[in-house]
Amino acid sequence: MSENGGTSMDLLRSEAMQLSQLIIPIDSAHLAITYLGHLGLIQFNDLNAGKSPFQRTYATQIKRCGELGRKLRYFKVQMSEAGLEPLARSGTGSDLNVDDLEVKLGELEGELTEFVANGEKLQRSYNELVEYQLVLQKAGEFFHSALRKATVQQRESGSGHGGESSEAPEAPLLEEQELNSDQYKQVKLGFLTGLVPKGKSMAFEKMLFRVTRGNVLLRQSFVEQPVVDPASGEKVIKNVFAVFFSGERVKSKILKICDAFGANRYPFSEDIGKEAQMMTEVSARLSELKITIDAGISQRKNLLHNIGQKYEQWNLMVTREKSIYHILNMLSIDVTKKCLVAEGWSPVFATPQIQEALQRATTDSSSQVGGIFQVLQTKESPPTYFRTNKFTSSFQDIVDAYGVAKYQEANPGVFTIITFPFLFAVMFGDWGHGICILLATSFLLIMERKFSNKKLGDIMEMTFGGRYVILMMALFSIYTGFIYNEFFSRPFELFSSSAYNCRDPSCRDATSVGLIKVHNTYPFGVDPVWHGTRSELPFLNSLKMKMSILLGVAQMNLGIVMSFFNANFFRNGINIWCQFVPQIIFLNSLFGYLSILIIIKWITGSKADLYHVMIYMFLGPTDDLEENQLFSGQKVIQLLLLVLAFGSVPWMLLPKPFLLKSQHNNRQHGQSYATLTDESLQSEINHDSHAQEEFMFSEVFVHQLIHTIEFVLGAVSNTASYLRLWALSLAHSELSSVFYEKVLVLAWGYNNVIIRIVGVFVFICATVGVLLVMETLSAFLHALRLHWVEFQNKFYEGDGYKFNPFSFTLIANEEE
Amino acid sequence: MGFSVTTLIFAMVGLIASLSTRICFNKGPSANLLHLTLVMTATVCCWMMWAIVYLAQMNPLIVPILSEGE
Repeated sequence: MSENGGTSMDLLRSEAMQLSQLIIPIDSAHLAITYLGHLGLIQFNDLNAGKSPFQRTYATQIKRCGELGRKLRYFKVQMSEAGLEPLARSGTGSDLNVDDLEVKLGELEGELTEFVANGEKLQRSYNELVEYQLVLQKAGEFFHSALRKATVQQRESGSGHGGESSEAPEAPLLEEQELNSDQYKQVKLGFLTGLVPKGKSMAFEKMLFRVTRGNVLLRQSFVEQPVVDPASGEKVIKNVFAVFFSGERVKSKILKICDAFGANRYPFSEDIGKEAQMMTEVSARLSELKITIDAGISQRKNLLHNIGQKYEQWNLMVTREKSIYHILNMLSIDVTKKCLVAEGWSPVFATPQIQEALQRATTDSSSQVGGIFQVLQTKESPPTYFRTNKFTSSFQDIVDAYGVAKYQEANPGVFTIITFPFLFAVMFGDWGHGICILLATSFLLIMERKFSNKKLGDIMEMTFGGRYVILMMALFSIYTGFIYNEFFSRPFELFSSSAYNCRDPSCRDATSVGLIKVHNTYPFGVDPVWHGTRSELPFLNSLKMKMSILLGVAQMNLGIVMSFFNANFFRNGINIWCQFVPQIIFLNSLFGYLSILIIIKWITGSKADLYHVMIYMFLGPTDDLEENQLFSGQKVIQLLLLVLAFGSVPWMLLPKPFLLKSQHNNRQHGQSYATLTDESLQSEINHDSHAQEEFMFSEVFVHQLIHTIEFVLGAVSNTASYLRLWALSLAHSELSSVFYEKVLVLAWGYNNVIIRIVGVFVFICATVGVLLVMETLSAFLHALRLHWVEFQNKFYEGDGYKFNPFSFTLIANEEE
Repeated sequence: MGFSVTTLIFAMVGLIASLSTRICFNKGPSANLLHLTLVMTATVCCWMMWAIVYLAQMNPLIVPILSEGE
């Protein structure tokens, strides 16, 4: 593979790449890899591919980095829970090394976990106390109401009984009964108080009833605000309950049921005085706890704030360390010589930079031995590397999405930069819409610096990434808008007055036979008179279809010429004579001829129907032309072109496989002669014959057959495919016209202000939604297809792999 | 303005554009070649489109027939 003589063109072919070997002493290895990571121009090959991750040299280091990463993620979670955002990367700050960082992170993690655990404990106690307070309040109400009723009853009965019962209402009601009833059966009336979630309260009641066979009394009271449940930490609506029962076994059953339903129980004393005391105690403790909790939260926030300051920096460091160790793991270790051997692809122009980085690493780590850089010879195919800037990178991405270029083959991206926006504009052509898109994309360009650091959503990210593509699309759309003479579907007489006028001053025939062309052709673009006429569509359709064919044939010819440049570069004479030449002849003798006929018809104004010309060229080439005649000598030329076209098909098909076979045989013979004369070449030849594939003639022939059929059929189908330029352009102008006439003009016709405003609003929404968004995407897609299929299948192989260097900036971008 | 005059104008514009790109963005011979290619491609594309539309209107076979009420 040799280069062209003279200046090469940027971006046309991949940068020259070389496989290089680096020998680095162990003590400067870490630094060397760091500097190479900053440089970002070398793609390391994995020399330890056979080993599992645990067998590699630096596995422990990676585990350490993994631990640090985990700690940092934990911090991030805590920070986001507390509502803090880590600050953006602020300079380099102090460069801690990994060991110090490990210690510091361990400390911080311990502190933070402690804070979190304490906070949780305190919060739980707080919640329990809140619930206890509620129980005291509500259960207290039960007893007070019962007491009140009892007092009332007592008074009533007391007035009846006179002074017989001198009991106070507070006296336990059952003491009397106890004395009266059987002595052995000690029936104790107990009660339990607590809180149960409202949703479960019905089930709770039923269960209690069933289990105790109805021998309980349950009082429930509704709590209005939801309470934070101590166990789950969520806010639940609960009911305060008090259950009264008798007997020990019943008590244990009820306890189990309470636990099953998640009802929290709290002690309650009957004594009113004690109850009031408890209330004040609980309130005091609550306020105390609140202060403690708040203090804890603010302390934690402080800690997190401090972490947040340094977070991004630490994160970056840990990521970098991890990636460095991954790379170090890929190097093969040579223990005897105490050095690491690295193998990788790098561009040829980067050689001095890599050597300089190695040198710096040696001096910075004060190592005795310097690193060695040497180039290896290999037959492997190198990765493809294009040096793109922010303008060309988006176009290159479009091409790469289809397939990365093979090493040093011609890059369609060069022409895509111009032809892609151009074909888009052919389908979009309206300078009003073009200006809208230009404004939108200039907003993106003005905010470029700010947006490139911010994290945007998916769609916004894609739009921002393609801002230069959209800029070019907008500029070309404005140009084609002027050519089609459409400003939101309105034509303007910008360059001169219309070329057409009435046949006679009274303009009687204007609506039946039409106008005639009296002045010179309208100098730039479509004549403004056409819009709104009855014959607008036949004229524009004819114009746009023919334009599509002409542009299509031009782009396809460009594609075939690119294949010539490829064949020339790779010194592949067979491809030039047996592929390029017959392909050009075939395409141009049929479709190139059609293009010329179109132009001749336009220039001469002949009324010949080109369909008939082409059809009879094939069906009756020797017949007389009569009305199909466009220029003299046409019959002879058509016969000649037909012969050329039919002749080029076997020319594409047959010679190449035979020539390849004879080439292969020559090489074999050459090698067999070599073994007779020189023994030392034996190893080289064995290597060669291993690398060389078997030559299967049938396979090569079938491959060539498929290629030929694809090209011949493709010539017709691809040319027709370019008619989508016409189709989308028609759709765009019709939609635009409909929105203008049927929405804006219609609404403006009414004198009502509200209808006018609504009409304008609907017009704007429809224009933006349908024309600016949907049509843009549609035209983008079709222009892309035309490039990927019709243009690139003439020459592009696209089976290379992309250069993926070890670079800290790339890793940082990947993280985000 | 005839066909050839406008073609000449396009050629002039292309030339001026490539010269100004060479002056403003001079970044070495390979980059210059790329810029030249881009400008040439753009000029040729724009000229082709204009020429096609112009030629199609030179000797028209279809004439505008106004619709009623215009």
